[in-house]
Amino acid sequence: MKKLFYICMSLLALTACTNDDQYELSDFVGTETINVTYNGNYASVGILPDYVTATVVGADVVINSYTSKNLVIYVSGTTTDGSLLFYGKNDWGLVLQNANICNLDGPAINNQCHKALFITCPEGTVNTLSDGTSYAEASFDQKGAIFSEGELYLQGKGTLNVTGNTKNALASDDYITIYNGITLNLTANGSNGMKANDGVFINGGMLNITVNSDGGRGIRSESVMDIIGGIITINTSGDCKIETIDGVRDTTSCAGIKCDSLFTMSGGTLNITSTGDGGKGIYCLQDIRLTGGTMNITTKGSNDDGKPKAVKSATGIILSGGSFTAQCKKSWACDNGTDSENPADRVTIIGTPTTKEIEKRYVSVIFPSVVY
Amino acid sequence: MERNLIITLMLLIAGTHQVKAQSDDFGMWYELGVEKKLTNKLNVGVEAEFRTRNNSRTADRLAFGVNVDYKLLKFLKASGGYTFLYDNFQEELDMKSDGLTPNKWTPSYWAPRHRFNVSLTGSVNWKRLGISLRERWQYTYRPEATGKKYDIDNDEWDPKKGKGKNVLRSRLQLTYDIPHWKFDPFANVEMFTAKGGTQKMRYQIGIDYKLKKKHNFSLTYRYQDVRSNDDDNEANRHLIGIGYTYKFK
Repeated sequence: MKKLFYICMSLLALTACTNDDQYELSDFVGTETINVTYNGNYASVGILPDYVTATVVGADVVINSYTSKNLVIYVSGTTTDGSLLFYGKNDWGLVLQNANICNLDGPAINNQCHKALFITCPEGTVNTLSDGTSYAEASFDQKGAIFSEGELYLQGKGTLNVTGNTKNALASDDYITIYNGITLNLTANGSNGMKANDGVFINGGMLNITVNSDGGRGIRSESVMDIIGGIITINTSGDCKIETIDGVRDTTSCAGIKCDSLFTMSGGTLNITSTGDGGKGIYCLQDIRLTGGTMNITTKGSNDDGKPKAVKSATGIILSGGSFTAQCKKSWACDNGTDSENPADRVTIIGTPTTKEIEKRYVSVIFPSVVY
Repeated sequence: MERNLIITLMLLIAGTHQVKAQSDDFGMWYELGVEKKLTNKLNVGVEAEFRTRNNSRTADRLAFGVNVDYKLLKFLKASGGYTFLYDNFQEELDMKSDGLTPNKWTPSYWAPRHRFNVSLTGSVNWKRLGISLRERWQYTYRPEATGKKYDIDNDEWDPKKGKGKNVLRSRLQLTYDIPHWKFDPFANVEMFTAKGGTQKMRYQIGIDYKLKKKHNFSLTYRYQDVRSNDDDNEANRHLIGIGYTYKFK
């Protein structure tokens, strides 16, 4: 009996060699994925990782993420009244795989996470997102067909078509960065094509923006804006938006780009055409600095309610490289805040351009190409 | 009689093992000691201990200690000791303030601790019944351990900072000397009090078996009831203890 006792005790001791941890490092680092598929009035969500929950009502999907991992949501399918609303703590990615999402009463994509949203359109995909003509009341911000509380990055080699029928097509309460390769077609029927609170940075890509709304802007940055590449085409056709606030008549004119801080361009091509009344090509509250790239700005609109300008800056239009062409049918092509009637006083040229033609309604300054 | 008792205790061990797999944890304590009586009043001893947890599937602690006790009065004994603990600290996962998002993760790891204790034990006997009360102050220091805590957001391994802890352990024990029987049963209850109040209670029953006055075997059952997080992340646990002590004359 004693032998049995000792054997049993020894066996019990020998069993004590396993690990009792519930987690591994891989539970906290790496990438988790979720698949969301839209099908008409319904949506389905695939297997959820730990610390992620999903609620689906019809084709409205709400994802709550508490995972510390990078989360990537793959979205595909078509819905005529659906959405994706995301809450989380960390940066996350959204891969659009021929997704067609229209939300009749709010944003198609709404990132309520205050961290970055990376939207990727893989090569060969065409994705179409739009909001409705009115938004339902909500306790959270809804500022466009795609809205992000955090930074918004757009990348990939596919196509993304976004239509804003009520508010902006694309909006971020942080900044927006566009990478080379993507084709981005934005249509603004309600407000701006693209709006960011903290800056817009265009590194490349094909960007086509059509603004039909009165007082709308192709790109609206409440901070800086920088273009270093890409082909950007903005057409605005809206007239001035006239509102009476507290008995005061307020006129907001259309613009291809409205920037509240420094605007810089060092590469790429920017073509802006504005045809509405009082429409502006670029309207910047600080300097507009062109050091490279090609900028063609044309405003054809009337000056009934607004004052059309091709390029307007409150502090200066400084040209030191690239190609600059601005023309305005009804008013000054360039306005740098001066009252001078001499067109040459309205731009600052640094260096020796090969072409320099400065008139009231037409300015062309072309610097020699720089070969690196 | 002895055979029946051993069988009963073996069944108790096996039964506890299975029952506790469903709710509280279960562990084993293996204790080995040597004692030497230097004078009529002074004893010294060394001891080693091995503990398990996780239904006895995971090693929990290795410990080596020395102790000395001195009989101040017929009914009063003072003692002190040092124990080197080599603990397998349990895994911890800290969440952010929302209570849902993982913040820092500390996987289980082995690290040393140093424990010092002094005690006063008062005891009285009434016929064959013995009653004793032991008050023990215990200080345990855990040195800093580098690279043990993973900061999930910053993707880096932080140190587990060093920490000292004072605990007052109060134990009330009953013993009974059964005539003409080699087994002496005992029962006790022990309260662990630290900053913040009672941390845990231990309830214990067991028997001592003396062989030729030199060999002392013990078999115990303890239940540990954790009242508040004592930073060791201990769970409520059923414990079976098996001990052997050799007494030099």
